Amino acid sequence: MSADRNFEERLESWRKEAKHGGAVSGRGVNVAGGPIPRRPGYYGEAVVRPPVWTWEIPLYFFAGGAAGMAPLFACAGLFLGLTDLARAALWITAAGAIISPILLIMDLGRPRLFLNMLRVFKYQSPMSVGAWILAMFGTFAVPACIAFELHLHHVLSGSLDTFVAVVAEVLTFGAAYWGLGLATYTGVLIGATAIPAWFLHHVLLPIHFGTAGLGCAAAILELLGFQIRPLFFLGMFVATIETLLWLWLEFDKHGPADRALHAGGSGWLIRSGEILSGPLPIIFRLTNLVPLAAVSFLLGALLSRFGWIAAGRVSGKDPEAVFASQG
Amino acid sequence: MIGEGTQSTNQRKHSFAQDHVEVGFFTDPSVCIGCKACEVACKEWNEVPDDGFTWTGNSYDNTGHLGASTWRHVLFVEQDRTKGNQIAGPMSLGNDSEDPFRWIFLSDVCKHCENAGCLEACPTGSIVRTEVGSVLVQNDVCNGCGYCVVACPFGVIDRRPEPLPDAGGAFKCTFCYDRQKSGLTPACAKVCPTESIVFGRLDDLRARGAARVRTLQGQGYDDAQLYDPQETSVGGIHAFFLLLGEAEAYGLPPRPQIPTIYLKSSWAAAVVTAIGAIAAVGAAFSFFA
Amino acid sequence: MPGLGTSFGRGGATTAQQDLARSDCILIEGSSMAEAHPVGFRWVMKAKENGATIIHVDPRFSRTSALADIWVPIRAGSDIAFLGGIIRHVLENDLCFREYVVHYTNASCILRPEFRDSDEGATGYFSGWNEEKRAYNHESWLYEGEGLSYPKRDLSLQDARCVYQTLKRHFSRYTPEMVEQVCGIPPELFQKVADALTSASGPEKTAAICYAVGWTHHSKGVQVIRTAAILQLLLGNIGRPGGGIMALRGHASIQGSTDIPTLYDILPGYLSMPRAGKDEETLQDYLEKHTNRTGLWQQFPAYFVSLLKAYYGVRATSSNDFGYAWVPKITGDHSYFSFLYKMLDGEMEGMFLMGQNPAVGAQNARLERKALSRLKWLVVRDMVEIESAAFWYDSPEIERGELKTEEIETEVFFFPAAGHAEKEGAFTNTQRLLQWREKAVDPPGDCRSESWFIHRLALRLIEKAKASGEPNDEPLRALDWWYPETKDGEPEMEAVLAEINGWKTTPEVNATGSVFTHDRDGQLHHGPQIDEYEELKDDGTTASGCWIYCGVYASDGVNKALARQSNDYLGHGWGFAWPSDRRIIYNRASAAPNGKPWSERKKLVWWSAENKQWTGQDVVDFKKDKSPDYRPDGHARGLEALPGDAPFILHEDGLGWLYIPEGLQDGPLPTHYEPLESPVNNKLYERDTNPVENWFTREENRFAPPGDTRFPFVLTTYRLTEHHTAGGMSRFLPHLAELQPEMFVEISPEAAVGLGIKNTDYVCIVTLRGAIEVRALVSRRMRPLQLNGKTVHQVAIPFHWGSAGPIRGDVANDLMAISGEPNVTIMETKALVCNVVPGRRPRGKEFLPWLDSFAPQSGPAVLHPEQPPLGAPSGGKLESGHGQHGKSA
Ligand SMILES: Nc1nc2c(c(=O)[nH]1)N[C@H]1C(S)=C(S)[C@@H](COP(=O)(O)OP(=O)(O)OC[C@H]3O[C@@H](n4cnc5c(=O)[nH]c(N)nc54)[C@H](O)[C@@H]3O)O[C@H]1N2
Ligand SMILES: Nc1nc2c(c(=O)[nH]1)N[C@H]1C(S)=C(S)[C@@H](COP(=O)(O)OP(=O)(O)OC[C@H]3O[C@@H](n4cnc5c(=O)[nH]c(N)nc54)[C@H](O)[C@@H]3O)O[C@H]1N2
Ligand code: SF4
Ligand code: SF4
Ligand code: SF4
Ligand code: SF4
Ligand code: SF4
Ligand SMILES: [Mo]
Repeated sequence: MSADRNFEERLESWRKEAKHGGAVSGRGVNVAGGPIPRRPGYYGEAVVRPPVWTWEIPLYFFAGGAAGMAPLFACAGLFLGLTDLARAALWITAAGAIISPILLIMDLGRPRLFLNMLRVFKYQSPMSVGAWILAMFGTFAVPACIAFELHLHHVLSGSLDTFVAVVAEVLTFGAAYWGLGLATYTGVLIGATAIPAWFLHHVLLPIHFGTAGLGCAAAILELLGFQIRPLFFLGMFVATIETLLWLWLEFDKHGPADRALHAGGSGWLIRSGEILSGPLPIIFRLTNLVPLAAVSFLLGALLSRFGWIAAGRVSGKDPEAVFASQG
Repeated sequence: MIGEGTQSTNQRKHSFAQDHVEVGFFTDPSVCIGCKACEVACKEWNEVPDDGFTWTGNSYDNTGHLGASTWRHVLFVEQDRTKGNQIAGPMSLGNDSEDPFRWIFLSDVCKHCENAGCLEACPTGSIVRTEVGSVLVQNDVCNGCGYCVVACPFGVIDRRPEPLPDAGGAFKCTFCYDRQKSGLTPACAKVCPTESIVFGRLDDLRARGAARVRTLQGQGYDDAQLYDPQETSVGGIHAFFLLLGEAEAYGLPPRPQIPTIYLKSSWAAAVVTAIGAIAAVGAAFSFFA
Repeated sequence: MPGLGTSFGRGGATTAQQDLARSDCILIEGSSMAEAHPVGFRWVMKAKENGATIIHVDPRFSRTSALADIWVPIRAGSDIAFLGGIIRHVLENDLCFREYVVHYTNASCILRPEFRDSDEGATGYFSGWNEEKRAYNHESWLYEGEGLSYPKRDLSLQDARCVYQTLKRHFSRYTPEMVEQVCGIPPELFQKVADALTSASGPEKTAAICYAVGWTHHSKGVQVIRTAAILQLLLGNIGRPGGGIMALRGHASIQGSTDIPTLYDILPGYLSMPRAGKDEETLQDYLEKHTNRTGLWQQFPAYFVSLLKAYYGVRATSSNDFGYAWVPKITGDHSYFSFLYKMLDGEMEGMFLMGQNPAVGAQNARLERKALSRLKWLVVRDMVEIESAAFWYDSPEIERGELKTEEIETEVFFFPAAGHAEKEGAFTNTQRLLQWREKAVDPPGDCRSESWFIHRLALRLIEKAKASGEPNDEPLRALDWWYPETKDGEPEMEAVLAEINGWKTTPEVNATGSVFTHDRDGQLHHGPQIDEYEELKDDGTTASGCWIYCGVYASDGVNKALARQSNDYLGHGWGFAWPSDRRIIYNRASAAPNGKPWSERKKLVWWSAENKQWTGQDVVDFKKDKSPDYRPDGHARGLEALPGDAPFILHEDGLGWLYIPEGLQDGPLPTHYEPLESPVNNKLYERDTNPVENWFTREENRFAPPGDTRFPFVLTTYRLTEHHTAGGMSRFLPHLAELQPEMFVEISPEAAVGLGIKNTDYVCIVTLRGAIEVRALVSRRMRPLQLNGKTVHQVAIPFHWGSAGPIRGDVANDLMAISGEPNVTIMETKALVCNVVPGRRPRGKEFLPWLDSFAPQSGPAVLHPEQPPLGAPSGGKLESGHGQHGKSA
């Protein structure tokens, strides 16, 4: 900071003055803590509390995003009779539905009390809404997968098998419904907090997280071998959206209020995430490097989730961000 | 006021909890002596553990900020300004060498917001509003999800880290709910020697706070103001403060907002995204399959 | 303190803290009241709320300064110059409360022609100086006229030799310019304080002064307090509501421990400790020496004999001089520092340490710890294992290899002590208030109370003495150790209080007004309680453990220290204030000579003509029925000899003493001397330091000469609210330890810039006695001072850290020198010089050579020129016996 350099210069002149005259005249020697630059606010102390969440949460956002959007592809598969696609998508869905709550519970301060989340339903609390979404998602996703497998392997016969097929379809639709919530609510969740860098982007976040989830599901399917045209174009589509979101983020700057998104380690995490999931996949796709595009997108989505949580931590510790974000 | 002895609202027995009267704290730094008795009394009564022996060099404040194991926190603000008509040594004699200085102490605490971010955020229902209007965390319900931590616009509540006792849960000032239930005043107010912390009926306190600001302004404290953000979405706080100078210097957000104010637009964005996703998948498979 | 004792008569705060709320101006100087007496400070805040002006004069901008209206930074150790300047301002501008001064003080008394003031020729010496003995002969300080009882007076205050004129001359050179040059206080600021104080004087207004150890811990502490006493007498502020001098005491019962002393040279109730030698050989000699002809001390024999009756019971009879021979006689200075040297030199074998932590709290603590290591045995009773109990295996000296555990022969017996909530008893607090403390919980494990320990010890010693038959053991055998016991084997503490109050000695069966009538063996022990000290007799018919406490457990059988229903603003009905529950002493002065209140606003007690007695809001500190126009005849003795308008009834003349004709070692009037270590020479006098000071000269106790360039900073020490003294009661408690976890030094930004250090950097503080490592807390709360064009930087350190407990730090007292103020042998902890060296100190064996490079530890050294050489008499007393004047630390 240039202010600091100025201060250092003044300090140097005081040191000289002190050496000659034994004292420094007049005002200017900083009060709070003496000849050190005063930190903003109250000794630079955080005004809001930074998030206590650790690595599980960005990973959960990632897994939940991919798993939440995957049943859409299962639905498409079921509609169009692409059984393999539907099956793979349902496996992604089910895996995500199992991993997500595990990650979430691991991050709780008191994991044994995780069920308390379902004691109440509070529509004003995205965390509460999210907990129910996750629970409902799991309720549909895992049985959907099981039912579909039962049907595929004809474990049951006759009308029972048909019944199972119908159940699988219904469950898949349900999973898709709750999955849309799962992939997007996480953006609402961190947007509705006192962390300046997050709440200033409360509109961008659900879009970003949802889009990334959709792209991730598609990318995983592509990597599982479904390098089909719809997925290719979807890949182009999400990468375009991510590129636009990146530009939005680059232009929608709030100065010190959200500098954590743009500067420092957290800023670079987010930026690399956006580049990896925006412009780069486009280039890769245009040059026909589809698997690379998929890997790049996945990596980008993962990095950016870690980036957003990291930015939240930096931003939460930065009193200037809080002050600047308030009129 | 000081010297009312057992008649003071800080000392007298009361039945606010039974009568469902809204209560609050009015904290006045113009009489706070920075003795930290409130901090210690709070920890003693509530059996809050110590949270480390680190010296900060920030004036006399080695507590830093409120948190899971600090429910009262006395701030030590050193500023190059005058405090009322105080003459702080030769620095403020009004001649060429004028170089003002002041030192202000303020005892910070959970604000017990009218619209409380923490309460709205809590997914377990662990945080509730009590009959005296305070915001209470029920420790046996909290599962430590940590959402209230980022939902408090004042950075009050926090999750207690290992290896402290009772780690993992979120903690903050209870407004001494247990004491209030039995007609006792909160421990911090009870011990405050100069009644810088005043406990009492919220309506009385608001009137008293306003009067105090007027008195101080009459005595040359030009920058005295109340900090009780009633005009923002927080809708006022039950533990409100008199401030000398701007809120930022006390680590208080100047215009705190409850984080849920933008919830609608945020959910709208989510819904649009969801619809967009359906449309995109639908379109992709319809046109390119 | 003798400062208050000699000036007014009693060595206690003249007022109650609640009464500060009635002040119009409060000067807090030599104390950080908000930090060290936070609860009492509420009354200062109340006064401020009522519109009073609060002034804080202190080297640091402390938490007290933050709440004051005016903060005046002062160079440590220059308070006499500052207060003297205000006195001069009052005298030169005729601002004193004339009627009060003329009638109630000794302003009009005429001094002897041979008296020479320290100001004459600006030598700094009064008449009577004996260079060889480094002490004064006090003869020439006395008045003209008939002793102290009937001095010659000139009520017009015109006589050139009267106290008033002498005072005027004495302080004439203490001008605002001089104040600036000595204290570093600009004249404008000085003027503000002078105006605030003088405008709060007169019939309608009063000002109070609060002080504590920021004034007493100086080589001239008593004289600082004397200066304040003079000022308050001149402004007419003693004995009046909202006035007075509030001596803020230290530990919960420091006042109590001087009333019933833990000091070596006084007995309970400020009775002088008998001294070995011709003039106190017999009871008659002793009584003759200490009994005044007029005033309250005429009753001295009654107080003393009653005390002997309390000690020895039926064995004290008129035929054996009530056991006077059994009372130990002192042979010299037996203060703590003297026996510290005796320990060092192997002349003292053992020590009981109960409730003290000298390895941290005592000055020259490196030397202190070495001294402990030379004892054969040491008993420590404490609640935690403090440094003084752990020094033999865990101390800086062990770490540095200066001492080796295997070579230390001291056998340490550590006894776990019960804390104050775990036992019952009374505290006497800062305002002479006895408050009974009930036991809240049983002490844990083997912890026992002091009374249990001492009771058991006494019983065993007495048993042994009985068995031995040695004549030397007679004093033990003679003790009347009668105390009944509780079922836990504790002595009944209320029985002790009853004995302190006093009773008639003749046992009476079923007498009304008797409490704890039977001793431990079930024998009838004594008669009814007495109600007031007036009832005490010198014929053995009464006993009292401490005459000034009479009334606390009187014949109504009520323990008044336990009273808990305060019924007025002074707190009557809550506890018991000595003497006789007076909350503001000398309160006769709150009424004009004619007995009417000076003003409606400031009325306290007054003469009711109808009822022919004194009445009002406080218990009158006067004979209740003595009318204002009472005049004694020339032969009257005792209180009868004092007229109806003489409020200071302990003095022979009933007056407040602006000038002390008798009772102080270092002069009748306060004189500014520099601290023993100072960056400058004395601007006012030839003599730099207090001539009578005891320097405790020793190789390991060196002082830097004035202006020593090796030690350019002024060093002062202080307390933090978060800790208590040597730390045994705070450092070990996590909730306090976390609030101030590390030792630091407060330093101004200017000095920090000069040193090239930043906030939180490590620095070392070095003096000729030692060096410690601390963190730098840089703040504008410390200001450099301009003295005569020279910039002086002050640094301040708290003294709470040591090497035991969860938070550890270097010991501030490693830096301090041992010294003894001539009247009370108190050390100078508040004004020294030091160097500040950036960086950390070396550990282990490298420490000593490093220290040597900054401060030579052995060999010939540049010492203070006024310090007596090794082996020379270190000064002090030609004469003894100032017990009555209220000594305390
Ligand atoms: N929290 C707490 N309270 C305590 C104690 C404690 O340890 N902790 N200790 C108790 C005890 S034992 C005592 S004796 C009292 C002592 O009570 P205080 O005397 O109030 O305590 P200190 O902090 O030692 O010193 C008082 C002030 O004197 C200033 N000072 C130093 N030198 C000078 C000087 O030359 N002139 C003037 N005018 N001021 C000077 C210091 O900067 C400091 O602010 O406190 C009692 N109360
Ligand atoms: N440099 C510097 N040095 C100073 C001072 C200063 O201002 N500056 N101040 C001086 C002053 S004023 C004082 S009073 C001294 C204080 O110095 P000390 O008296 O040596 O220190 P304390 O820590 O008060 O020691 C009291 C001890 O008694 C123990 N204790 C408490 N209650 C009980 C009890 O009921 N029974 C028993 N047996 N023990 C108990 C505590 O745990 C503690 O360890 O320090 C002096 N030293
Ligand atoms: S200040 Fe924070 S923790 Fe306290 S009630 Fe308000 S939102 Fe909750
Ligand atoms: S951490 Fe506990 S109190 Fe906070 S929101 Fe989660 S469950 Fe509620
Ligand atoms: S009200 Fe009770 S819990 Fe809250 S800060 Fe005060 S003492 Fe602590
Ligand atoms: S107890 Fe009162 S005076 Fe002391 S720090 Fe707390 S609020 Fe301030
Ligand atoms: S520690 Fe005790 S005596 Fe000292 S201020 Fe607090 S309450 Fe008063
Ligand atoms: Mo003390």
